[in-house]
Amino acid sequence: MLLRYVGRRLLLMVPVALGVTLLVFFSIHMVPGSPAYTFLGPHATRTAVAAFNKEWGLNRPVPVQYWLFLVRLFHGNLGDSLFYQSSVSSLIASRIPVTLTLLVGGAVLSIIIAVPLAAVAAVHSGKLIDQVIRFTSTAGLGMPSFWIGTTLIILLGLVFPLFPVGGYGTGLWGHADSMFLPCLTIAISIAPTLLRSLRTSLIDALGSDYVAFARAKGLSARSVLYKYGFRNAAISAVSVLGINIGFLVGGTVIIENVFALPGLGQLMLTSILDRDFPIVQGITLIFSVIVILVYLFTDVAYALLDPRVRL
Amino acid sequence: MKLNRVTLLVATSAALVLATTTMAAATGRGAASSGKKVAHIQRGGTIVFDRGADIISLDPTQVSDNESIWADECIFEPLYEATPNGKSPIPDMATSYTVSTNHLVWTFNLRQGVKFSNGQEMTSADVKFSINRVAAKASNPWTFINADIKNITTPTKFQVVVTTKTPWSPLQADMALFANGVIPNNLAGETPAVFWAHPIGTGPFMVKQWIKGNSLDLVKNPHYWQPGKPYLDGVNFVSVPDDNTRLLQLESGSAQIDEFPAWSQVSELKSKPGITMSLFPSSWTQFLGFNEQIKYFKDVHVRLAISYAIDRAAIVKAVLFGHGTVANSQVTPALWDYNPKSPGVQYNLASAKKQMAMSKYPKGFSVKLLVGSGNQNELTMGQIVQSELLPLGIKVTLQEVNGAQETTLQDDSEFQMSFLYDTTDIIDPDELMTFAAAGGSGAQGTHAEFTNYDNPEVNKLITEAEHIFPQAQRQKLYNQIQLILDQDPPMAYLFYQPFAYAYSDNVHGFDVYPTGNYHFENVWLSK
Repeated sequence: MLLRYVGRRLLLMVPVALGVTLLVFFSIHMVPGSPAYTFLGPHATRTAVAAFNKEWGLNRPVPVQYWLFLVRLFHGNLGDSLFYQSSVSSLIASRIPVTLTLLVGGAVLSIIIAVPLAAVAAVHSGKLIDQVIRFTSTAGLGMPSFWIGTTLIILLGLVFPLFPVGGYGTGLWGHADSMFLPCLTIAISIAPTLLRSLRTSLIDALGSDYVAFARAKGLSARSVLYKYGFRNAAISAVSVLGINIGFLVGGTVIIENVFALPGLGQLMLTSILDRDFPIVQGITLIFSVIVILVYLFTDVAYALLDPRVRL
Repeated sequence: MKLNRVTLLVATSAALVLATTTMAAATGRGAASSGKKVAHIQRGGTIVFDRGADIISLDPTQVSDNESIWADECIFEPLYEATPNGKSPIPDMATSYTVSTNHLVWTFNLRQGVKFSNGQEMTSADVKFSINRVAAKASNPWTFINADIKNITTPTKFQVVVTTKTPWSPLQADMALFANGVIPNNLAGETPAVFWAHPIGTGPFMVKQWIKGNSLDLVKNPHYWQPGKPYLDGVNFVSVPDDNTRLLQLESGSAQIDEFPAWSQVSELKSKPGITMSLFPSSWTQFLGFNEQIKYFKDVHVRLAISYAIDRAAIVKAVLFGHGTVANSQVTPALWDYNPKSPGVQYNLASAKKQMAMSKYPKGFSVKLLVGSGNQNELTMGQIVQSELLPLGIKVTLQEVNGAQETTLQDDSEFQMSFLYDTTDIIDPDELMTFAAAGGSGAQGTHAEFTNYDNPEVNKLITEAEHIFPQAQRQKLYNQIQLILDQDPPMAYLFYQPFAYAYSDNVHGFDVYPTGNYHFENVWLSK
């Protein structure tokens, strides 16, 4: 059943992703500004601009260009960048690991931060410790991620030089070392929402009849919290996390800028500003696939956690 | 050269910058250095050089962005290069030249014994191949610089003969253009893809690795022709788009040079221990352009009135935080035709009102000013212009568009007023004169930097200056042009902007030329 569901969702991904490329293709071509002028610089002559547009097929009607894009796509080819003399797929491939590490690392760290705090707050609901946690998380919610990032750099990169000040590092250890602060930045911006939703549902679960029954059966407090409290509270928290990661995919642009990470977000931003159409189309396609996959995982996790949900 | 990309999304608030800088200052952690000057040159070490963007291409004939141009100049060398003050050419791959009496045939004698980074000897065939590549395609950005070259021959192994279509006095300066840098004939037999992944040049450095969009790692060229140089083992250009992150990396010692710190950071960096903050003269000149397709700007009195009404010192203070100079002409002080004595048109509200009264529109009018959205400098300048033109009855609306659209609208002359700027790529006044003052469909077809200004006298003088040779005579013609442009301005000349670099005190010999070259062969690191 589950496999069939996943298969159907994966198939549905094709029209959704294509729809996204269609929207992006036409909107980026509708935005005024031509790549010829950015490429040629301020001394661009009419002849040079015309030659550039002809060379890249930019003088053809937009629907024709979209059709050619689709034909190439079905051959597994995302085209060539108008600026870098290389293929879009190779540019994207070199940057995917950075962005994925950022997303996965951020999600894992946010769970590590949110879960214990939510548990403490829920168990001591209404007491001082709960108030402190709730207040801190509200404050965290209000901080923009570029501010969190810069503050972390100053604190943990400069004042206490524990981590590198931006960059991606070299080698596996270098990457891990450099990615910690950016992941932490993401975690700090997602954790409050996660924490608050987990706390509320945990309080609900802990006050429910089945928990009262479990307690009455004589199960230990720890066992009640883990087996009955968390498992039920996790259901809503998983969807909160999933939706937040979906939003974050777009938000990586800012984090990658602050930490000078060579990820997809940064490439996307420069390519939009330069009007490097093939890269923008390629990255949008990848981003939409990532978002769709995250939502799919969320739904599957939801089903696995809650036997009442049938896929 | 084109404007560095404005990172739109890095909306770091002023409060944050303040907090960052005060916190960083409070910690007192300078980059690893004592600030003492070391007398003896030390060898070795690699400099991490933070810049706002990565390079686009290693092929110098295919780039117009500064990041690419300045990095490519570490790898490839043309026949001539600029002196440190940017005023004249000095020999690089050539040692001398002779010109025929009709001024059409230039014979360049090449430096002998120069080797490429692969050990192969540089000869005339390589030079011919390299220069011919620049204008090989109409879509190449630098075709216009080499436009007067008729053909190139190689009578001997170390002689290159360039024949021009007309007696062309800027040719020696044209030969110093980075795009004319020398690479091996036929790409040393490699395919373009293989060659440009690890290009071969005669410059002090060669490519170790380019991670596109992130960093360009250069290592020293073991065959470099200047004995004992370069001193460094390498230079690593890293793309760090965020102003604050570049500054923090410099302070933490993980980078040694920060290219273009935000103007708001410059004063504070000057007093920071362990860091040298230098403002090198550049050729960047900032203008406010008037499109003469708009009827109001056909009237010279309107253009003069606006030009008089703008308080340039206020703009320098607001935009560059005082780190620039008020412009007195269209000519940049970086070039030899600059006349420091020229008063130019300066802020004078009484003169502005007088000119406005003399115009066909004494009651004023409404006009649109193009500004780049997210381009904080242009937005600030726009607001200042807006308020300063009000006393003349000119109501200015800011027309905000994003960067790429702004360039397109400017280049298509689809604006009413627009902020324009010039930087020169060659060390001869000709490039900027034909670009920004020549009207009609002049050499570059830009109609006086898209303003549609067309003064036959200016056009005539520019062409004349291209075809006479003694510099003193050319200087006279350019001064004459300058006087005409003062009285009949296609744009209001606003300010001259330096190149700002912050670097660690243990970096020595770092000097940026007005054309932007870094000359890393002279740079060394003290331990």
